[in-house]
Amino acid sequence: MGEKTDVWQGTLALMVLRTLETLGPLHGYGLARRIEQTSGDVLQLNYGTLYPALLRLEQEGFIRSRWGVSENNRKAKYYELTKAGQRQVKKAAAEWEQTTAILARFLTPAGEA
Amino acid sequence: MRKLRAFCFRLLGLFRGRRADDDFAAELESHITLHTDAGIRAGLTAEEARRQALIHLGGVEQTQQAHRERRSLPWLDSLLQDTQYGLRTLRRSPGFTITAVSTLAVGIGACTAIFSLVNAVLIRSLPYGEPQRLVYLFTPNPRLPVPVEVMTPSYADFFDIKRQGHSFANMSAFEQATFHLAMDGSVERVSAARVDENFFETLESTPEIGRSIGADDNQPGHSRVAVISHALWHSIFADRADVLEHSLTLEGVRYRIVGVMPPEFAYPSSSDLPYGNASVKATHIWIPLALTPKQKAEREPGSDEVIARLRPGISVSKAQSEMSTIMVRLDQLHSGDFGRGWGAFVENFMDNAVGPVRPLMWLLLGAVLLVLLIACGNAASLLLARAANRMRELGMRVALGAGRGRIIRQLLTESLLIGVAAGVLGIGLAYVFLHILLDLDPGDIPRLNEASLDTRVLLFTVSVSLLTSVLAGILPALTVARVSLNGFLTSGGGGAVAGTHSRSQNALIVVEAALVVVLLAGAGLFIRSYLNVESVTTGFSPSTVTMNVGLDERYGTPQQQGAFFRNLIGKLGALPGIDAVGAVNYLPLSHSESLGFFWVDGFANQKDQMAEGRLVTPQYFRAMNIPLVAGRFFAEDDASSPARPTIINQQFAKEYFADRNPIGGRISTDEKDHSHWSTVIGVVTDVRHLTLEEAPQPQMYSPGYELGAAYIAVRTMRPPSAVASEIQRTLKSIDPNLARGDVHTMGDLMSEATARRRFQTTLLGVFAAIALLLALVGLYGLMTYSVSCRTRELGIRMALGAQRTDVTLLVLRKAGFLLGSGLVLGLACTWIATRTIKAFLFGVDAHDPATILSVCVLLAVCGFLAALIPARRAASIDPMQALRTE
Repeated sequence: MGEKTDVWQGTLALMVLRTLETLGPLHGYGLARRIEQTSGDVLQLNYGTLYPALLRLEQEGFIRSRWGVSENNRKAKYYELTKAGQRQVKKAAAEWEQTTAILARFLTPAGEA
Repeated sequence: MRKLRAFCFRLLGLFRGRRADDDFAAELESHITLHTDAGIRAGLTAEEARRQALIHLGGVEQTQQAHRERRSLPWLDSLLQDTQYGLRTLRRSPGFTITAVSTLAVGIGACTAIFSLVNAVLIRSLPYGEPQRLVYLFTPNPRLPVPVEVMTPSYADFFDIKRQGHSFANMSAFEQATFHLAMDGSVERVSAARVDENFFETLESTPEIGRSIGADDNQPGHSRVAVISHALWHSIFADRADVLEHSLTLEGVRYRIVGVMPPEFAYPSSSDLPYGNASVKATHIWIPLALTPKQKAEREPGSDEVIARLRPGISVSKAQSEMSTIMVRLDQLHSGDFGRGWGAFVENFMDNAVGPVRPLMWLLLGAVLLVLLIACGNAASLLLARAANRMRELGMRVALGAGRGRIIRQLLTESLLIGVAAGVLGIGLAYVFLHILLDLDPGDIPRLNEASLDTRVLLFTVSVSLLTSVLAGILPALTVARVSLNGFLTSGGGGAVAGTHSRSQNALIVVEAALVVVLLAGAGLFIRSYLNVESVTTGFSPSTVTMNVGLDERYGTPQQQGAFFRNLIGKLGALPGIDAVGAVNYLPLSHSESLGFFWVDGFANQKDQMAEGRLVTPQYFRAMNIPLVAGRFFAEDDASSPARPTIINQQFAKEYFADRNPIGGRISTDEKDHSHWSTVIGVVTDVRHLTLEEAPQPQMYSPGYELGAAYIAVRTMRPPSAVASEIQRTLKSIDPNLARGDVHTMGDLMSEATARRRFQTTLLGVFAAIALLLALVGLYGLMTYSVSCRTRELGIRMALGAQRTDVTLLVLRKAGFLLGSGLVLGLACTWIATRTIKAFLFGVDAHDPATILSVCVLLAVCGFLAALIPARRAASIDPMQALRTE
C-alpha cells in the first residue's frame, strides 16, 4: 500500500509542478480541475488528496503559497513555483521520460525489437 | 537535503497546530466555494453544486486529517501527548511520584558517584602514550626472602638487556630522589627523579614548554639541567613564560630549567612503582641520571627502576621468555655479595599501577549496583500498586478502543518520566556524594582524587536512568496489558488484577530482602575486619610525635651525622614536658624497610636468612614506648662502644633462640666475617612495621647516632601540635638550611595505614544501610497496600469473630513469610558472594557465623517494625465501615 502511494505521489507531484510551470500561479481547485482536464478527464482525482501533496511540495521548498483573490472575487490560496521548483520540474520530467522510455521497450511487442 | 528541510517544517508544525488548522479550514472552504460556483455556472442548484463539491473532495474531515499528519510528525505528536498526560497523572499523585523519584535518585546518584571513581581510576586514559605497552623489568632472586618486585636490574644488566633484547621498542632506567630545594630564604624537600635519555621517550610524554632530557644531558659535565612539573612552574615561577631562563638550586647545586611537563604528568608517584618511595605523591623535578662508566658496569642491583615499552604486537609473555633467556647468560657474570640466581620478571605497567585496586573498584561498583537494583525493585513495586489502583481508568481506555501497545507505551512513558526526573536529581546527588567520597579518599588509590563528573560519567548516568525506568516500568506495563478486557468488565474494578499484581510484588520484596542480606553480610564482614585491624597490638604508643629529618651533602661523614643527632636529641630532650627523645632510620608505618643478612651463634644458620635491621639511638624504645621483655635497654655508652650490643624482638627470640635464653646470645651481621659477634642485651615486644595487617617479622636493633636520614621520635604529655612547632624551631636553630620535615604522631600514621580499610568499610556500610532502608520502605509500602486492598476481607473476618490480634498476626505472618524467604535466598547468595571478598577480610572468616546471625536478627527486627504499622492499621479496621466500602 505504501509503495503505491509513493508512486502516485511522485507522479502527482510532477503533474502539479508541470501544471504550475505552464499556467503560473493557481489555487487548489484550479489545479485539480486543470490536472483532470489535461489528463483528458481520464484521471478521476479525489481533490482532497491534492492538499497533502501540495503541503509536501511546499515543505520541500518547490512551491510557495499566498492568499489572493480569484477572477470571480473569491478569496483563495494561490500556489506558484519557486526557483528550486523550476529546476525540479526539469529534473523530474527528464527522469520520468527516461523511466517511461525504458518501460516502453519492455512493453512493445517482441517482434519489433 | 530537501527531506531535512521538510522534516524541520514538520517539527515546527508540532507547535502551530491551531493556526495551521484554521488556515487550512479556510483554504478548504474556499476550495468548496470555488467548486460550488463552478457547479452553479454549469446549471446546478446551489445545494446540488455544494453536494457535488464535497463528494469530489472526498470528505472534509479526512482531508483535514491527512493534511494534519503531513503537517507535523504523528509519532512525535503522540509521544508529546503521552508525556503531557503522564506529567498530569504524576502531578495528580505527588506522594507516589516523590517516593518513586527519590528512591531511584538515591540509587542513580550513588551509582554515578561510584562510577566516577571507577572512571578516574580504571577507565580514563593515563598521560602516557599507549600505556598498555609499558612494562616494568625486575630481576628477582629466589634466594632472597623479598617480594618479586623489589629487585630491579643492575645498571650492567640493564644495558645488556637493552642491547640484546628485541621485544622492547624503548627502555629507560631511573632513580627516585628527594632534594632540598632552596627558594628565597626557605628550604623545601621535593620529590624528584634522575632519569636517562630515554625516559620521556619510553613514556611517550612530551613537555608543554621547552624540551625533555636528552642524550647530551647525560654526558658528564653537561648534566646540570632540570625538567620541572607544571605544579612547580606554577608555585615557584607563577606560570611565567620566561621560566626557561631560570634555574633551580638543588642540594646547593644550580640546575638550568630546560622544560616544563604538562599538568597531568607526575610520574613516578607512589602508586606507579611497586616498591618505590611511598611518600611521593607526585614527582616534580627530573634531572639527568648521568651515570659514570663505573656505575654503568655495576652488576650488583641498586635502587634504580627500569620501565620499558614493548614493540607493537609483542606480548608480555613473549618479552618475559626473551628476558629470561638473557638473564640466564647474565647471571653467570654476577659475583657480588648476593651471589647468583638472578631471574627475570616482566610485569605489565597497568596491572602494576591499577591492578591492586581493581578488585576494590569492581566490588564497590557491584555493591552500588545492588543498591540500584533494590531502588529499581521499589519503584517497580510502587508502579505495580499504582497500576492496580488505576485499573478502572486503564480498563475504560481499553474499552473505548485504546490498543494494548498504546497502553503499554503510556505506562512506559510515565516510568521514563520518573526515570528522567530521578536521573536529573541523581546527578545533583552524585555531585554531593562525590564530594563526600573525595573527603574519604584514603590517598593510596591512584588518581582517585581526580574523579569528576565528566562526559563519560554523565553518559553512564543517562543510560542507567533509562535502563532503570524501563526495568521498573516493564513489569507493571506487561501485567496490565495481560489483563483481559473481559476480566476487567466482569470483576467490576481492580479485583481481577490484584492477584497477579501482589504475586509480582511479593517476588520483588523477596528479591530485595535477599540483596539486602548480601550487602549487610558484606558490610558486617568489612566492619569486623576493620575493628580487628584497629585492635591489633602495634607494639608502640600512638601518642609519640615523629618528624623526618634528612641531612644533606654537608654532613658527609658519620662523625658529622653523629654530632648533629646528638645535638638535636639533646636540645629536644631539654624542652619542657618532654619525657624521652630518640631517633631511628626506619620508622614503623613510614613505608620504608631494611632487610639484612645475619648469623646466630649456636644456631643452624640457613643460607640467606634475613631480618629487619634498625639503627636506633639509646632512648628510642622509651620514646616509642616499646616495652622491654627481658634484659635491658641500650645505655648511652652502647652507642659509642666499639662492640655494639644488639636488642632483638620477641619474634626473633622465638625463632632463633627457641629453647635458650637470648640474653648473652651472639649475632653477627657482618657478611665478610661471620664471627664478628654482637651480644644480645635485651628483648623488646614485636612492632608492626610495614602494615598493621602483617604479622611482625624478626627484628634487630643496633645503637648509634650515625644516621643520614632519620625519624625523630618524641614522647610527651603535651599536645602534639604545640610540640611540633617547638621541634621545628629547634631544628631551625641548629641548621636553618635543612628542610622542615613533616610532623606526625604515630597515631596519624596508624590512621593513614587504616585509611583504605576505613574507606571501603564506610562505603559498603553506607550502601548496606541505604539498601536496608530502601527495602524496608518497600516492605512497608507493600504491606500497607495489601492491607488497604484487603480491607473488605479483613472486615468480614472480624465480623465473623476474628480477634484484632488474629488480624495483626495475619499481616505480620505474611511479612514474616516474605522476609523469611528473602533471608533464605539471601543467605544462599551470601555463601557464594562473600567468598569473592575473602581477600578484603582480616581476622574474620568469610562465613563468620556471628556476622551472619547479626544480619538475620537485624533484618528480622527492622522488618518486624516496618510491618507493625500496617498490621496495627489492619487491626483497627472497623468491620461495619469495611463492609460498606464498595
